[in-house]
Amino acid sequence: MPPHQCEICKITRAQVLRPKNGQRICSACFIALFESEVAVTITSTNLFQPGERVAIGASGGKDSTVLASVLKTLNDRHGWNLDLVLLSVDEGIQGYRDHSLEAVKRNSADLDLPLKIVSYEELYGWSMDQVVAQVGKKGNCTYCGVFRRQALDRGAAMLNVGHVVTGHNADDVAETVLMNLLRGDLPRLSRATSIITSTPSAAPPKDDGAVSFTNVKRSKPLMYAYEKEIVLYAHHKKLDYFSTECIYSPEAFRGSARTLIKNLERIRPESILDVVRSGVDMAKLVPGADGKCKGACGDSKAAGSTNAAEEEAEGGCGSSNTNSGGDSMVEMEKKLQQDERTEANGPETEVTLPANPKETVSIGVRHSHEAYSSLPPDDGIYGQNHEKNGASKATAVPIRTKQEKKSGRKPTRDAAAPKQRLGQCERCGYLSSQSVCKACVLLEGLNKARPRTGVEVGGGG
Amino acid sequence: MPGRRPIVPKDDSLCRRCQTNEPTITVRTEPLCNECFCRYVSTKVVKRMESFRVKYSDPGKERVLSLPLSFGACSTTLLHILSEHMKGQVERTGRSGYQLHIVHVDDGSGPTSKALLEKVKERFPEHTYSILPVSEVLSLDGVSPLLQPPLSSDANGDTSSQTEPSVLDLLATLPSATSRADTHRILLRRLITNFATNHNCESILWAHSTTRLAELTLAETAKGRGASLPWLVTDTASPSGPQNFYPMRELLTKEIIAFSSLTSPPLDDLILKAATKPAVSTKNTSIDDLMRQYFESVERDYPSIVANVVRTTGKLKAPGVGAEEERCELCEMPLGGAAPERSRLCYGCIRTLPGVRG
Repeated sequence: MPPHQCEICKITRAQVLRPKNGQRICSACFIALFESEVAVTITSTNLFQPGERVAIGASGGKDSTVLASVLKTLNDRHGWNLDLVLLSVDEGIQGYRDHSLEAVKRNSADLDLPLKIVSYEELYGWSMDQVVAQVGKKGNCTYCGVFRRQALDRGAAMLNVGHVVTGHNADDVAETVLMNLLRGDLPRLSRATSIITSTPSAAPPKDDGAVSFTNVKRSKPLMYAYEKEIVLYAHHKKLDYFSTECIYSPEAFRGSARTLIKNLERIRPESILDVVRSGVDMAKLVPGADGKCKGACGDSKAAGSTNAAEEEAEGGCGSSNTNSGGDSMVEMEKKLQQDERTEANGPETEVTLPANPKETVSIGVRHSHEAYSSLPPDDGIYGQNHEKNGASKATAVPIRTKQEKKSGRKPTRDAAAPKQRLGQCERCGYLSSQSVCKACVLLEGLNKARPRTGVEVGGGG
Repeated sequence: MPGRRPIVPKDDSLCRRCQTNEPTITVRTEPLCNECFCRYVSTKVVKRMESFRVKYSDPGKERVLSLPLSFGACSTTLLHILSEHMKGQVERTGRSGYQLHIVHVDDGSGPTSKALLEKVKERFPEHTYSILPVSEVLSLDGVSPLLQPPLSSDANGDTSSQTEPSVLDLLATLPSATSRADTHRILLRRLITNFATNHNCESILWAHSTTRLAELTLAETAKGRGASLPWLVTDTASPSGPQNFYPMRELLTKEIIAFSSLTSPPLDDLILKAATKPAVSTKNTSIDDLMRQYFESVERDYPSIVANVVRTTGKLKAPGVGAEEERCELCEMPLGGAAPERSRLCYGCIRTLPGVRG
């Protein structure tokens, strides 16, 4: 069979069979096409402001490596004037992250972009290896996912960057759409399909223009790019990336959706983007105001952002891993059956709503501020007196000791009926609709098991 | 801890509900006897028929509902349960809240379906029955031109002649198994909807089980039809024609199949057993097939997850549709937001009919 000619330039021999549509094109045309498609995604959605500081969440894997390379190329080509930095999270997984961080460091040098690494160890006092030693391999992805979300935001704030881009690709988004249909999670489905998710801070922006870690945008410029094309791009651009998956095991739910997506792609390659499109369209049909929060959140946009922090926090490792503990299909099935029984038989115990926590605040407000170093940002001294190990502001998540039980929270916001709305964690100040954010809850569990002497309370008043 | 009601220890060697008979089947987690199981199944259906109670229908003014019958386990079982339901209404009040008009689409695949229809009529003689030849889809508005090229012009509008094979031939010219299955499903649905409209049926009672609806949800999502899901899987007013109802939406396929043999007399000889296709190459598998296989296995191990998918999609809200809102020429779903500008087809249909430009 004679070699095919590139269908675009008609000069060079075709080297690439585009996974997206079966087009046969040459390497140069493929690279140009891939880049221009990402550029269209970015410009059509007005993703960046001119001159914006943007942190690229870099794991050393193919997606973020390609993202960094494409953004750098496009920024230079189109004169977007973006101030790009690489931001990596070191989860502390020996044999996985240490190697991939080496790849990130090489990328940083190749692309001439500054690199910032934040580690779980430094932020939380726990590396993932230590967490796994403590909780075992099952369910550890919950910790990792919850910690990562905060870590990226805190890292961005340290760099004074208000926008983090991640390497989520079309396959990831499609997978998440199907997974959330299977899990019955409509709010998360609608967030997964929006290219940009901002979590408007509960705190007002600071006067000095510094970025708070509660006010960092996330976006996914590669959400319309096929995983296979990302691999091809990396190959043809000879990018240096690290391709081993995390050594801690993936769970069933995402796995099930992932298999389904791969089978769909085999039947009809376009279906990955069709799933994404369906997800986008369905997100518009998710009842907002009269949904979960029963009108308390106002318009649907507000409802969407309410759960932002926690929802994405549970996103786990994005592409390869899952997700929070209840995500294995077996556990989900058990939980649903329980719900069905409860519905049929009525609850076994009467549950009464606790009194509004905001009304039980008054005592110990001052004390708790000092103890937890979780001053509300409007106090203006946030980040000044509780640095840990000399790290810059917003780094340390204070670790709470046992006796400091009573919680304090200023009744600053309107204390209406109990409702889910975005507030801040009373311990670390991170965004949360609960009084204590997930990361602090998880940390508390971990710290309980740790010998007393090992606990250091961040900040001393 | 005091419960709201005293918890009576149940003997698990007996039916969980009546505690007298031996259980014959386990439903979700409950071991049930035949009788309780059959009651469970018909209650699930009757509960969804609330809006068709006798008190909502004026005497002498029958509400007519269309029931598409494929002779599959689901539609035959639905016919059986509703027949019993109507009998019950007559016994209690002297009349029934609705009448059924049974429609079978004959795809000309053999004489078996005609023979089956006779048997069904014998068993449930109280209903009206109609057979629709599948060739009628070509007389639906705008369909023949969309299915070109190979259709010769003489088949157009000529409903009485030998056009039956040509519909299937036309489908066969579509480029993939997915396109064929997708178009086939859309056309059947349109045909039945059109029939119901022309025969003054106020609603259509689809026999989709939970499992089938979950399949449909994921399959339509994968075909880029997410925007039209609320009209396809929920009990909402359809954007065109009569309202759609899914009375079997809370029953799994396996429960319906079990019911069809356990009820007395069994429905087995009225049901056309679908030949389960062996897993062939992906080239000949359609997205619908893939989802069917997927949910067959999910239903086995995780029945509540199947139910959860359906419950979740049920929460999607169909946007209001104006009378003059443009609709897709093939699937008749509103185009608003789900189609490229000035297209006559929605995204899903553009994907399914390559070469047709909107």
